[in-house]
Amino acid sequence: MNVAVMKTKAEMTLAETFGSVAEALPGGAEVKAARAAAIGRFAAGGLPHRRIEEWKYTDLRGVMKDALPVAVGDETKTTIADVIVAMGAIGRIDAPRFVLVNGRYRKDLSNLSGASGITVTPLSEKLAEGDASGLDATDEDRGASALLALNAAYVSDGAVIEVKDGTKLDLPLLVVHVRAGAVPQLSVGRNRIVVGKGATVTIAEIFVAVPGSTVDGQVNSASEVQLGEGASLSHIKVATDLGSVTHLANWLVELGGESSYRAFQYTSSVGVARNQLRATFKGEHAKLDISGVFLGRKSEHIDTTLFVDHAVPHGESRELFKGVLDGEARGIFQGKVIVRPDAQKTDGKQMAQALMLSETAEFDSKPELEIYADDVVCGHGSTAAELDHDLLFYLRARGIPLDQARALLIQSFIGEAIAKVDNTALREALMEEAETWLASSAAKSV
Amino acid sequence: MLEIKNLHVKIADEDAEILKGIDLVVPKGEVHAIMGPNGSGKSTLAYVLAGREDYEVTDGDILWNGESILEMAPDERAAKGVFLAFQYPMEIPGVAGLTFLRTAANAVRKKRGQEELTTPGFMKLVKEKAAELNIDVEMLKRPVNVGFSGGEKKRSEILQMAMLEPSLCVLDETDSGLDIDALRIVSDGVNALRSPERAMLVITHYQRLLNHIVPDKVHVLAYGKIRKSGGKELALELEKSGYAEFQKDAA
Ligand SMILES: Nc1ncnc2c1ncn2[C@@H]1O[C@H](COP(=O)(O)OP(=O)(O)OP(=O)(O)O)[C@@H](O)[C@H]1O
Ligand SMILES: [Mg+2]
Repeated sequence: MNVAVMKTKAEMTLAETFGSVAEALPGGAEVKAARAAAIGRFAAGGLPHRRIEEWKYTDLRGVMKDALPVAVGDETKTTIADVIVAMGAIGRIDAPRFVLVNGRYRKDLSNLSGASGITVTPLSEKLAEGDASGLDATDEDRGASALLALNAAYVSDGAVIEVKDGTKLDLPLLVVHVRAGAVPQLSVGRNRIVVGKGATVTIAEIFVAVPGSTVDGQVNSASEVQLGEGASLSHIKVATDLGSVTHLANWLVELGGESSYRAFQYTSSVGVARNQLRATFKGEHAKLDISGVFLGRKSEHIDTTLFVDHAVPHGESRELFKGVLDGEARGIFQGKVIVRPDAQKTDGKQMAQALMLSETAEFDSKPELEIYADDVVCGHGSTAAELDHDLLFYLRARGIPLDQARALLIQSFIGEAIAKVDNTALREALMEEAETWLASSAAKSV
Repeated sequence: MLEIKNLHVKIADEDAEILKGIDLVVPKGEVHAIMGPNGSGKSTLAYVLAGREDYEVTDGDILWNGESILEMAPDERAAKGVFLAFQYPMEIPGVAGLTFLRTAANAVRKKRGQEELTTPGFMKLVKEKAAELNIDVEMLKRPVNVGFSGGEKKRSEILQMAMLEPSLCVLDETDSGLDIDALRIVSDGVNALRSPERAMLVITHYQRLLNHIVPDKVHVLAYGKIRKSGGKELALELEKSGYAEFQKDAA
């Protein structure tokens, strides 16, 4: 395993600049030590590359040729109006929001009134207080471990969200990561979400860019999520209009007994995206539903990689991902479901479907079931298909022009996944985002 | 007026001709029936009228109101008033019936230079037409035709026709799969659309439909050609004699 490999320029720069950047990052002595240890782990592993099985479709050594300067503070004059515009349809949702610009919390742009029962603290504050928890996190996938280490070394800020036991909140809490300014940077954020017993909340992580800012950049984002007993979390992620940014997100989720975790990830208009999620069943009778939509065109590359770990009995998991791929876009879906020997009565189902709008688009799907228990029900499926010509004719025979007919069929295809978003305002905003995307490109190519 | 002149059609990418020189004229205000054996090319003719791309017209022409429609896309033809009620209506998962009807109605209205329907205006119209066809509006909230019975699908086609107000109605075996009451309801719906401004082409296997929708003319389409034309009594003759004589002709 420890074959000496040549380090790429980006890897060397990322490891070497740590000394000069570390001073500017938040954190006392313990945190500084944890960061130094993390950069050591990163230097040993390097960026994930295609010889790591989990990364064979997304070779970051090839993608991240250059190391961008690490964002340590926000120097832009971003206004609330900029943030609202950047958020598109979601910007019109009146909900508590925690805003970060270029990886730094911006109190002046945030508004947490209405988030009763929820404490949101900037991670930078926690780090400054010497709270280094989580910075030593690793993953079974060594590629993800390397990215987690890079994240721990350079993290500038994030949201630490604590939901009190029994809290019920209808409004979604929006954590908005905004990219702004003219300088391409590596922005490193980390969120910690702890949902107390019996609480029910919706938390949405929104990644957007202020129009007119640089179209380049890198994002390394991590979220650690813990659901207490009987807790219910709807965890939404939206990444849109990010130009040619390389967007790396890693969610690590632990489900307590009888909890319900519903994740939905929406990704469009990004250079390269890797959305990785590991969910581990810690308590029995928990339910997991992970779904999402990815929309790619030109040479965009969108990778969704899931690990669902049924470690205890009586767990239920559902995954549904829908992709629309145009131009030379590439979609990747890797879904691994592990059912450990003890996890009897597990019920797991997975489906990944792509709609191919061009002959040059590509969809790679790799479902994997690793089952060590005998009394389980598990299934998976995957399809890649073109728009149905007979249906298109039917719609057109009713007077609906080609563009509109295509858009209608594409919307209905992804609509099934978007329907999984329980929060009405978010669901409608996402449908609108998808319609805008379709109007801007997909519907027009034949 | 619909004028079909020496129409030759084959499946794109294949050699065999399906329609081998159809000549047919349907003046405005008239209803013509087409009958003929299975596989004789009736649906092919209907699809070619609507503009389906899987077929290739190798010779001849189709004129609607004096204008050739062969080069027009299906949606342009729909805007010009052409409507095909499908023999096998398709299911469209994920698209609600009401959305579909409204999108279609407004698309043709826009192209015809008419004002688009407002939400209340559309709802009023659709409720009225659905009631006439004995269709529950609740059903239209579901995806188009998904889970509908065969008869429900046929009624849904006629509702679409009523909403789009076409001037050339082509009905491909709309009667098959309908129960006795539904046959009457659908026929009433079709008869309600009969007007001096509309031409209708009704494809059917059964004389019974023609008791409800009384045609001005009946044509026999067999082996890719119109083999015989006559008045409504031709349907009764066919009921007795079948299509044996046309088979001989073709040989
Ligand atoms: N897309 C197609 N591909 C191959 N063959 C086709 C296609 N469409 C029609 N055909 C063939 O063309 C011929 C005419 O078919 P068509 O559906 O027009 O018949 P029809 O008169 O409507 O028959 P029915 O009374 O059974 O509905 C048949 O032999 C059929 O198999
Ligand atoms: Mg037929």
